[in-house]
Amino acid sequence: MDQLIQTLIIGLADGLIFALVALGYTLVYGIIELINFAHGDVFMVGSLIAFALIAPTAVGGLGVFQITAETPVPLMVVQVLATLAITIAVTAGLNMAIERLAYRPLRHAPKLAPLIAAIGMSFVLQNVGVIMAGSNQRTIENIFPSTNLLSSVGITAVSVTMAQVFVGLVTLPLLIGLSWFVASTRQGKAMRATAQDPDTAGLMGVDVNRTIAITFIIGGALAGAAGVVQILYNNVTVWNLGFRFGLISFTAAVLGGIGNMRGAVLGAIILGVVSAISDRYISANWTQAIVFGVLIAILVFRPSGLLGQQLADRA
Amino acid sequence: MSAKVDAIGTGPGAWFAHIGTAFAGMQRAYAADLRQHRIRTVVLTVIVVVGILFPLIDEYFLEGFSRNVFPLPFPDATVMTFMMIFGIMAVGLNIVVGFAGLLDLGYVAFYAIGAYVAAFLSSPHWAGLGLNLVFLGNVGPTAQGIHLPFWIIVPIAIIVVATFGALLGAPTLRLRGDYLAIVTLGFGEIVPLVFKNLSSLTLQFAIGPISVNLQNVNLTGGVQGINPIDPPFLPILNILFDSRSGPLAVYLGIFLLAITVLIARNLEHSRIGRAWMAIREDETAAEMMGVNTVRTKLLAFALGASAAGIAGAFQAAYLGATTSDFFEFSTSILVLIMVILGGIGNIWGVIVGAITLVYVNATLLPYLGQRVQDSAPFLPNPAQYNFLLYGIILLVMMRFRPQGFLPNRQRVAELVVVAPEQAEAEMVEVAMEAESEMDAPPELPVAIELDNVSLAPPGQDATGPDARAPEVPGEARDE
Repeated sequence: MDQLIQTLIIGLADGLIFALVALGYTLVYGIIELINFAHGDVFMVGSLIAFALIAPTAVGGLGVFQITAETPVPLMVVQVLATLAITIAVTAGLNMAIERLAYRPLRHAPKLAPLIAAIGMSFVLQNVGVIMAGSNQRTIENIFPSTNLLSSVGITAVSVTMAQVFVGLVTLPLLIGLSWFVASTRQGKAMRATAQDPDTAGLMGVDVNRTIAITFIIGGALAGAAGVVQILYNNVTVWNLGFRFGLISFTAAVLGGIGNMRGAVLGAIILGVVSAISDRYISANWTQAIVFGVLIAILVFRPSGLLGQQLADRA
Repeated sequence: MSAKVDAIGTGPGAWFAHIGTAFAGMQRAYAADLRQHRIRTVVLTVIVVVGILFPLIDEYFLEGFSRNVFPLPFPDATVMTFMMIFGIMAVGLNIVVGFAGLLDLGYVAFYAIGAYVAAFLSSPHWAGLGLNLVFLGNVGPTAQGIHLPFWIIVPIAIIVVATFGALLGAPTLRLRGDYLAIVTLGFGEIVPLVFKNLSSLTLQFAIGPISVNLQNVNLTGGVQGINPIDPPFLPILNILFDSRSGPLAVYLGIFLLAITVLIARNLEHSRIGRAWMAIREDETAAEMMGVNTVRTKLLAFALGASAAGIAGAFQAAYLGATTSDFFEFSTSILVLIMVILGGIGNIWGVIVGAITLVYVNATLLPYLGQRVQDSAPFLPNPAQYNFLLYGIILLVMMRFRPQGFLPNRQRVAELVVVAPEQAEAEMVEVAMEAESEMDAPPELPVAIELDNVSLAPPGQDATGPDARAPEVPGEARDE
């Protein structure tokens, strides 16, 4: 039982990182009906930027911040926030540029064309990753103490580490902020209108191009944040991380009902837990196959996802 | 045409007569082409003849001379064999993507299954389980494991892979477009993983009289894969088609590709081919017109996949080994790029795409990489960044020439972005052409008439004011 709870905690932390990336997929699909294959790679670029900022020059980073476990806590907080800010700025700009250069010219083309352009962009970004950090895995030192935070309240069978709390501290405000942005701001309203019907939204005075660009900026920002969280939590990154991570996140978005933000978060947490359970009780070798099996099963039996509306024509 | 066929009659004797008429027809068609498009026909003939002779020229002439002719080095026999293997796959994927319009991002799964079928049926792999069967193989009768000849394995691989194609197709029939792409992608990821992971299977169960007890059975060879696999062998001429046989293997590849092309071409122009194109253009409309979409899509998946079965079996037998690492997502995408680059929907186009891409990937880039390393070692090696190049190719192609280099005419209309004004102008043009061709009353005035109806003054509707029954005014007002 303790073991299961422990697995659930690990799965929850993984799932929150998936959620940040899944939101990028679901926002973009919701608004222009494109599976943005390059999104996972934007996340990967984010994690490489974070690596470059944090890691000392000795292991191939730029050593701008050089955060280690010995860094005093207030300084560490400032440095982590600065890393987040820089990474988010770069990936948001990158995602906007991708939309402007690769997808916007194909806006009115048949659906196959932007999808293939997205695959092409994914390859380009993977090679950008190789150019940035080489083809080997890059690791950083774990900056969080590995002590069990629950031991202070007398629980020792299940552990929650500072790293897991950190994942929650970064992701939850972002998720709440995004939810507020889409539900309550003028720009959020424009996004929802464009998602429903871009032509009509345009006629009603919504600047569709700007709205789509903002959607990509938000997606890129979330992917960048996920990249920082992922390298600080897992301490490792590599140029092809984005492909598999992106596929799992996309699966999460589909599981929740693509286009539905709450669904994406729910799907991501479910998948995080499923992978953690599979890692723990079956075998890590099979986790990937199980995740894709889940994806196929959902698409076959409930293409609209758990929380999605009926999208018979889109499916 | 049909009268001629009837004249030959039916029965086994007539089959050969049919082949004879086919060849006679070929001659006539060629003569007609030579009269009508002399230059084009001569150029194509030269390309085909040089292409067919090239493996021999390459082996016996250029080998002694030099292959590395700047800036276009000649490919060697292995590279040419892989051109044929990828050509077969491109033709197969073209059936699914080009003809039927179903985007398949997991095509590598079928390639993998084909390769493992060959590995299972012609290697010592099963000796560990005590399964020994030698049938017409070119190994001794005492050999361990299962050894079937390549010529039997290919049909088996086709059947197995087509079955898997239909199995993948069946649950995805309700899905369209993007979701279908993702399901196939997932399938393409799962299959190699299964081959990789099933290296120590422990299975124990008993249902009634059947009891199974397997302990740590190595089903797929795991990470090491399976080897050695018997190469294709031609008994009477005593020829082995393995990686040391040079141009011979290329000719086996050409033979297999020719068969694939023949089948694909006949399918394209058959009833099922037209049904594929109909569901590609508009699935709902096709269904309304009586196309059985379930059967049509399943056949597209199954037949498209079976080409990958041929390619996989040939690749495994040719290399004599297979591991799950051969079969990655990037291979699926590579074949898709071949199809897109060459001209989606056009069989000859996708073959050109396959040959070009294998050439670039296996000969040109490594060669350029070597030259760059020799003359300027500080520059990045281009061979390392081949997928950067493919990514850029995809982006540029989608932007400027989405129909590929040798496009299929029908697909051009679908893939090229037409600005709304231009499309309107084209429609008017078409309408005017139709008008001039037919003597039927022109269509435009009809539209104007309809406009007039809707613009009729209020109170005077289509039926006119007199149509209102004056006897019951109350009812009329209630309307």
